[in-house]
Amino acid sequence: MQAVQSPEVNSLAGLSGSSTELPDFTTELYKDAYSRINAIVIEGEQEAHDNYVAIGTLIPDKAEELKKLAKMELKHMRGFTACGKNLGVNADMPFAKEFFSKLHGNFQQALSEGKLTTCFLIQAILIEAFAISAYHVYIRVADPFAKKITEGVVQDEYLHLNYGQEWLKANLSTCKEELMQANKANLPLIRSMLDQVANDAAALSMDKEELMEEFMIAYQDSLTEIGLDNREIARMALAAVV
Amino acid sequence: MFGLIGHSTSFIDARRKALELGYDHIAEGDLDVWCSAPPQLVEHVEVKNPSGKIIQGAYIDSCFVPEMLGRFKTARRKVLNAMELAQKKGINITALGGFTSIIFENFNLLQHQHVRRTTLEWERFTTGNTHTAWVICRQLEINAPKLGIALNKAKVAVVGATGDIGSAVCRWLSARTGVAELLLVARQQEPLVELQKELKGGKIHTLEEALPEADVIVWVASMPRTLEIDSKKLRNPCLMIDGGYPKNLDTKLSGSGVHVLKGGIVEFFADIGWSMMELAEMDKPQREMFACFAEAMLLEFENCHTNFSWGRNNITLEKMDFIGEASIRNGFSTLNLKSQLQAAAA
Repeated sequence: MQAVQSPEVNSLAGLSGSSTELPDFTTELYKDAYSRINAIVIEGEQEAHDNYVAIGTLIPDKAEELKKLAKMELKHMRGFTACGKNLGVNADMPFAKEFFSKLHGNFQQALSEGKLTTCFLIQAILIEAFAISAYHVYIRVADPFAKKITEGVVQDEYLHLNYGQEWLKANLSTCKEELMQANKANLPLIRSMLDQVANDAAALSMDKEELMEEFMIAYQDSLTEIGLDNREIARMALAAVV
Repeated sequence: MFGLIGHSTSFIDARRKALELGYDHIAEGDLDVWCSAPPQLVEHVEVKNPSGKIIQGAYIDSCFVPEMLGRFKTARRKVLNAMELAQKKGINITALGGFTSIIFENFNLLQHQHVRRTTLEWERFTTGNTHTAWVICRQLEINAPKLGIALNKAKVAVVGATGDIGSAVCRWLSARTGVAELLLVARQQEPLVELQKELKGGKIHTLEEALPEADVIVWVASMPRTLEIDSKKLRNPCLMIDGGYPKNLDTKLSGSGVHVLKGGIVEFFADIGWSMMELAEMDKPQREMFACFAEAMLLEFENCHTNFSWGRNNITLEKMDFIGEASIRNGFSTLNLKSQLQAAAA
């Protein structure tokens, strides 16, 4: 370490790094935003369930294992439904359906064409990374009940991420090209989904900047895990920016 | 494996470097994109000491840039995420370079030990301050006599005397060098009085009082960019050791009698095949580096996997001796005036 010589030093010295303050969970503003965020989470877990079952139809010998994963997602869905109820919030499910519609469409398209790599990229990399990152940020500002539930969910989600990663890793030599293409088509959707919920997330004290960063960390980690190098990952991540 | 967590000195430099490394997605992004960019392990390096021992290292860019200092949450995340990455990569000992350890200390990040699924193991990290303090002391002992300044007659001002590095420098100077007088300068009075008691000596001065009296000025404090120093009021000769970050004292001073030496910089005996020190604008980027970075290498060479420099005001003379001996044994030397003058002439 060196000592600081900069104009910012005074502001730096004045900050004590206190812990993040929790929002007021009882305001109408909070509950209104929560009705959409909570719905997205519930819908996301439902989609995840359906997607893993669907992927099982493409690899029948793994179907049972995938069904187990899918079942876990339903458990998460019930947990998050309880979180909404606990705060007296009705989840806005039509909003959430619409929110996932493009990604849902792309997944269904890939499924009908038997494109397993694309299916895994959408569900096991993009949606899982999106979910994990949002949960990590949420845990820091959630009400005590939701915090406990979300912490349990995060532990499970890492298993799912690993499952898709393992398959992609084992098949990387043959699936790389499709992976890149699928990423180019779908990563921008994640980016725009994030933009779309930024205001509601902010009402829950979740910074867009932090959400994006957490997503990029989870995304980068899983791509590293499946065996891509820094430059390839950088090229893939570019799709989120341009 | 040792690790270094560093960052670019400005947003412009960061973008240029990212482009060179092929990180187009962030190179082209604005500051908001950088605020959301994860840390990157950008380089692996192998280092061999004079006795042939080889260690492996990694350089992590936290994607922090000084322009983010005003964004408290962002700065905090950058540091914690980079530390998490270092730990996830299994690095034994990582030095927190540049603003990293300053942010860690000032934002009290000790209370943020849990980062996602990772519980940060503090023993894997070091501020590198012990080595920095030792190097600054050695730079003073070696270079003052070269300018005709006899230490036993010299007044040495330590600006930032109560900081982690500053207080260690004061301890060393009063116990080991026999300098005629120590002038203690810092913003807050109370810790200064404490330090004076501990040292059983030294005069508490304001900056204005200290500057015209001092034969040697060791600068390890925060300094506002607006501060003007009138070199005519300094002694001739005057050795000024710039131990601050970033190092910009030389831009504030001119005049034949004032010699500014970059403080806390070491030179390795052989070239290191890395590109990252170019970011830090070292004169010899293949060999020169911040002493705090070198501390992580030393701890790895010595199999001393512990948070050697940690917390504030824990640097003892014994620790400085240990790291100093390790520094010499493993092929490091301090940056000195002579080599700076030669570099300027070349």
